[in-house]
Amino acid sequence: MSTYRERQLDALGDPTRRAILARLRRGPAPVGKLARDFPVSRPAISQHLRVLKEANLVTDRADGTKRVYELNPEAFASLREYFDEFWGVALIAFKKRVEHRNREER
Amino acid sequence: MTAMTERVLDAVRKSVTVNASPEEAFTIFTEDFDSWWPRSHHIGKTPMTRGIIEGRRGGRCYTEHEDGSEADWGTVLAWDPPRLVLIAWRIAANWQFEPDLEKASEVEVRFTPVEDGVTRVDLEHRNFERMSSGAAEMRTGVGGEGGWGSILQLFAARVEDRTRRAAQ
Repeated sequence: MSTYRERQLDALGDPTRRAILARLRRGPAPVGKLARDFPVSRPAISQHLRVLKEANLVTDRADGTKRVYELNPEAFASLREYFDEFWGVALIAFKKRVEHRNREER
Repeated sequence: MTAMTERVLDAVRKSVTVNASPEEAFTIFTEDFDSWWPRSHHIGKTPMTRGIIEGRRGGRCYTEHEDGSEADWGTVLAWDPPRLVLIAWRIAANWQFEPDLEKASEVEVRFTPVEDGVTRVDLEHRNFERMSSGAAEMRTGVGGEGGWGSILQLFAARVEDRTRRAAQ
């Protein structure tokens, strides 16, 4: 799970990939359409899509001769959980520390 | 999903009650930050060795690392012991340090006495929308940091649902 998250965060580290995700939020799109919408080459778009797919942020399917990409809603649920856990874990650690200190009375 | 895109970013709120006075709780949270902060939570390049919150307005919040480097993650915006500490959360959406304070989100931590020797700690992480290059671009989608802003919107909505359900 943590590997997935790391990969997702890496995938999100690139502005073009974030822009591709933003575009896909408006609906599924074939590679060719995405390549026309962005000022990068089609092979570059394909490479970005491959990274996003490996990070499980997008899924693809065949539609005739086209390959259509769309957002994977599941992946975003897992990212949100990551952030939700962030403060949860931190505050539990804090509470443990406070109460451990009380017991030891250092 | 379209309805959600226009949604205002909700803050993340978490509370914990500890057996300590507000003074003790505040000191452990800030001065003894290193003693409890999870080692997995940092943006340095090598493993974290120490975490520091400098106890004053304008103080740095940073971690020290095995390779001798330091990684800043925040700046103290308000310092009011033992009641409140407000920190600019200077981590951008791509997990890099955010040099522009205007684009930092904020973490407010309040310490409220509940009874003798018991303190409630309320944490609010807010202003996520500042992390993107602005709400307008977020809506136009393709431009700049829009992608991440949208994800944060989805995330914030979900967190809010979860915290509502988990509220004790």
